[in-house]
Amino acid sequence: MGKNQPGYFGEFGGRYAPEILTEALEELESTYHKLKKSKKFKKELEFYLSNYVGRPSPLTFAERLTKHWGGARIWLKREDLNHTGAHKINNAIGQALIAKFMGKKRIIAETGAGQHGLATATVGAMFGMETVVYMGAVDVERQNLNAKKIEMLGAKILPVTAGEATLKEATSEAMRDWALNVSTTHYIVGSAIGPHPFPTIVRDLQAVIGKEARSQFKKQNHKLPHAIVACVGGGSNAIGMFHAFLKDKHVAIYGAEAGGLGPKPGEHSATLTYGKTGFLHGTKTLIIQDEAGQIVPAHSVSAGLDYPGVGPEHAFLSQTKRVDYRMVTDEQALDCFLEVTRIEGIIPALETAHAFHVARDVAKDLGKKKDLIICLSGRGDKDVTEVLRLLGEKSK
Amino acid sequence: MSKIKDLFESGKIKSAFIPYFTLGDPNYNDSIEFGKTILDNGADILELGIPFSDPVADGPVIQRAVARSLKNKFSFSEIFRVTKEIHLHKKDVPLVYLTYFNPIFHCGIEDFLNQAKDSGVVGLVIPDLPFDTKESEVLFQELRKRDMDLIHLVTPASTKKRIEALKKTSTGFIYYVTSFGVTGERREFSVDLKERIRFLKETIQLPICAGFGISTPDQAGQISGYADGIIIGSAIQRIIEENGHEFPKAKQALAEYIAKIRVAIP
Repeated sequence: MGKNQPGYFGEFGGRYAPEILTEALEELESTYHKLKKSKKFKKELEFYLSNYVGRPSPLTFAERLTKHWGGARIWLKREDLNHTGAHKINNAIGQALIAKFMGKKRIIAETGAGQHGLATATVGAMFGMETVVYMGAVDVERQNLNAKKIEMLGAKILPVTAGEATLKEATSEAMRDWALNVSTTHYIVGSAIGPHPFPTIVRDLQAVIGKEARSQFKKQNHKLPHAIVACVGGGSNAIGMFHAFLKDKHVAIYGAEAGGLGPKPGEHSATLTYGKTGFLHGTKTLIIQDEAGQIVPAHSVSAGLDYPGVGPEHAFLSQTKRVDYRMVTDEQALDCFLEVTRIEGIIPALETAHAFHVARDVAKDLGKKKDLIICLSGRGDKDVTEVLRLLGEKSK
Repeated sequence: MSKIKDLFESGKIKSAFIPYFTLGDPNYNDSIEFGKTILDNGADILELGIPFSDPVADGPVIQRAVARSLKNKFSFSEIFRVTKEIHLHKKDVPLVYLTYFNPIFHCGIEDFLNQAKDSGVVGLVIPDLPFDTKESEVLFQELRKRDMDLIHLVTPASTKKRIEALKKTSTGFIYYVTSFGVTGERREFSVDLKERIRFLKETIQLPICAGFGISTPDQAGQISGYADGIIIGSAIQRIIEENGHEFPKAKQALAEYIAKIRVAIP
């Protein structure tokens, strides 16, 4: 696999996984290649997306938020209204179908905020597949509601205690499980990360977000929006939102990444701002690492953005400057979480709250009579306990 | 000619004993002593682990070793210093590094190889760098220039086509992964292990050394009957884990274990 072969986005991407997984990755690549063209697969995927997930998700004009921010008109692509409450289900359904076509009876997943774990447990229940979800022990704690839901759906949660006990360690552990059970198991990678073909598959399955948003907006307004914004951890909702707009050069694209507590290593997850090129979890991408190439633990108030790497396509889009990636601190995200909740009556996920913060600045810069779409990647029910705890701490 | 090739072609050994341990566990200076102890009790090739924060191909024992090692401040100068000390203790035993690609990439391939070679290292094993990547090709070229080896991993899942393809950039020996999954002690191995090793020997004109899961003298004795070498990591690391806080005890236990395995391998 060379630099210009499939699986690379510029210099990023590729397949840097342990040899034991190569056969499975090649099988996945060729199966997906066939399925992508298969009418039967497309039909089945569309069936589940519309009859189970609830697609298309609405594109909501946020009237109050528009007035409150006093800039561009704000539109929300409502992935929070999907079954299980986030964009993650788009990918989980698609990959479960791929697993079914490959004859795999067991699915595994890693999860940070729990939304991908929840989506995987949900499709596992629906398709009757044995499901195992790896979740950092710290995340099991701070996203307890999702952890409980996952178990209730009949999936097994395996808390990972190694290292920082968050998403990075959960991902490593899922890869190890896959290496052991590769003949019976499909690993449903939850973000646009991992060895080829995962970043492409996840992107393609999430691209429905941007495709719908683009055509919904066009239908209502007879033009394209001026800007779009999404939050980026691994970057699956963002790449899904961005993909349909990449060729629309006049549409400005913004990504919001987690600036955490500050710029020091270990205080943030701002991979695109502070990361350096490296190799992690099977892909060549930007990674937060120290001067010796050891991965530095990431931090974010939102468990879903708490990852020291990023999808390779985002690394490429950042390098080519097609997308403007900006940092949002924990505090700024928390403020936006409360603001959007009170003004618009929508409780966004803490991850999405990062996108709202960037959107607020962009909306002001754009000014009135311009249009901006935010990918509302998920709802924030899961974050309520954590937010209350943080607010309690702040008021002390 | 590479030092590893030399060793296998010398006719001095029937099957090589290749122990592994992670440098820096519990600290760098103890590592030097552990290395010497292992060499004194009978390693034919010694595999030294450069710790990486995210060792996805390793099981819990080696993961814990890496975590203990990284509690010390990691630096390449420390790694090379320790390696050189071990090398000087018994210069005729080839040393190889096992590490993940990110630290090497970060250090800079040429810089890393120059310093590794100066420290006595003659080969590399990199579990997350498949042979068919651009980086692997570059690495292979640079290693060749220095008479160093790129040791590829072959697994029970590797297809015939892939095995044929990796021949071109493989030197030293083949690290045959005996079972699915990650490193760690196991009671049983796949039933076709012997046939698979025989097939590999016929296909790739290199010694085939088996690792992943071997821990007892019985297993070592049995598998060395048909493999050109036996690689043991987790069992050694476990001894360090259980006794590392008491240095003399750890050294003693390590010496006894290495000697026992050495005797079991013809």
